[in-house]
Amino acid sequence: MSAIEALITELARLPGIGRKTAQRLTFHLLQQPPEQAGRLASALVAVSERVRPCEQCGNLTEEQPCAICRDPRRDPALLCVVEDASAVAVVDRSTDFRGRYHVLGGRLSPLDGIGPESLRLDPLVARVRGGEVREVILATNPSMEGEVTATYIQQLLAGLNVRVTRLARGLPMGGDLEYVDGVTLAHALVARQEVS
Amino acid sequence: MRLRRLVARGFRNLADLDRELPPGGVALLGANAQGKTNLLEAVYYPVLFRSLRGAPDQEVARFEGPGFTVEAEVEAGPTATVAASYAAAGRRKRISVDGEEPARLADAVGAWLAVSFLPDDVALATGNAAVRRAYLDRLLALADRRYLRALSHYRAALAQRNSALRQGRSEVASAFDAPLAQAGAEIVAARERWTGEAAERFTAEFECLGEGAGTRLHYRCGEGLGQAESWRPALAEAMARDLARGMTSVGPHRDDLVLELGGKPLREFGSNGQQRAAAVALKLIELASLRAARGTEPALLLDDVFAAFDRDRQARLARRLLAGPERQVFLTAPRADELPPGLDLPVWRVENGRVIA
Repeated sequence: MSAIEALITELARLPGIGRKTAQRLTFHLLQQPPEQAGRLASALVAVSERVRPCEQCGNLTEEQPCAICRDPRRDPALLCVVEDASAVAVVDRSTDFRGRYHVLGGRLSPLDGIGPESLRLDPLVARVRGGEVREVILATNPSMEGEVTATYIQQLLAGLNVRVTRLARGLPMGGDLEYVDGVTLAHALVARQEVS
Repeated sequence: MRLRRLVARGFRNLADLDRELPPGGVALLGANAQGKTNLLEAVYYPVLFRSLRGAPDQEVARFEGPGFTVEAEVEAGPTATVAASYAAAGRRKRISVDGEEPARLADAVGAWLAVSFLPDDVALATGNAAVRRAYLDRLLALADRRYLRALSHYRAALAQRNSALRQGRSEVASAFDAPLAQAGAEIVAARERWTGEAAERFTAEFECLGEGAGTRLHYRCGEGLGQAESWRPALAEAMARDLARGMTSVGPHRDDLVLELGGKPLREFGSNGQQRAAAVALKLIELASLRAARGTEPALLLDDVFAAFDRDRQARLARRLLAGPERQVFLTAPRADELPPGLDLPVWRVENGRVIA
């Protein structure tokens, strides 16, 4: 296989990139000064060599433990459970949450061969048993598998003397009721709140 | 609801077509294999965005063609234009309602309403339970979007649960009990409610078609499964068996819409004429149910259904099916003399995939 062909094949393996896009990216890189391709290559090598899951929370990090787990200003009593490391960044950027995280590394999906043993559930139970955690916030995705994973964890933690909560579901802010999909609207109606 | 204009490109053997349709409908005449049923299929495609014959999209696309487009301009419904296109390369389907892509396929289903009646539909009376479940699912999904949503949740939860059962993981399978129960109870309750309302009508329609009395329609399901609370004990009780079989044995995917004649199953003990009448009765109820649920008259698509009946029955059937001033009817027949008597529809000939008005 030629070098060009090898790069196209590798790029086409990435999510959201088809063969055509992979070709375009490859030819774009070939038209750039060689240093640029060199920087890209060393960045790729650096992430694959240096980035590892945090031993405590499973978030992606270059140092052990990760910056969030090390930060003494973070409240160790609050633990937010998410499916993937990418969700840590989302929750942390967009909310006031200043507790810590626990990354599961997926959600229960027997069809994809993902059972409880494939998720970081034992470390989660261990963290809760450690005694510092007072509330576990289940922030798995609002998909069927995400809900099932949340219920599974809730049962796993039952009897461990910890409060277990789930993210609320409802209307997006700043939207127009007319454009909200039916499922969300139905949930929002069920979970309506007293106006105080 | 009426189809005002139909556009079909790359669809089966049909030559590309863009036509206004008469408000009362049209009779399609032509020899076999000319494309009459394909035209009905194109009319029906934007109802559920799939073939009325259950064919996969790649088969609906013209042989070795790039894909197909169907566009239905609908009058008197809440929307004006429903379109679907399928690209053979990448097998991608795009759907739009009034030019906008809906967030979910389910949001577009039912914007155009039609009921089809094909020769194979006699299987409603002679076939196995899966045929009647598909009938219920199609009808109830078109009547109420919430049913379609429950159905797709149910199927997703069932697939996950069965997969866990095949892996021998009962605790993982049980984790899917809650979504299964919630969606499953909705489905069973809707089917039971519908059957309760349709039972009397079924008996009346059957009698009206002149095939005698004593028919009964009822829904057979697990005890109390119309309520989500009943599911947990039922699933728990079946767990050992389900693990051994690697599949869930409780739920609406196992139920049946039972047709009986004098207390015996119609599929085993009914005559050919009685079985056909039962299928016709179900189709008439489908029309009536959709009209009641959606407040608009669905179009009726009849594919060569009169040939199987004698002259007397044809006339009776035609009176029932073609009644109603609001109803738009599309029907096919090989020759004009095979059309039921008293039918007053413009005739289009279909030859070699082309429509000749």
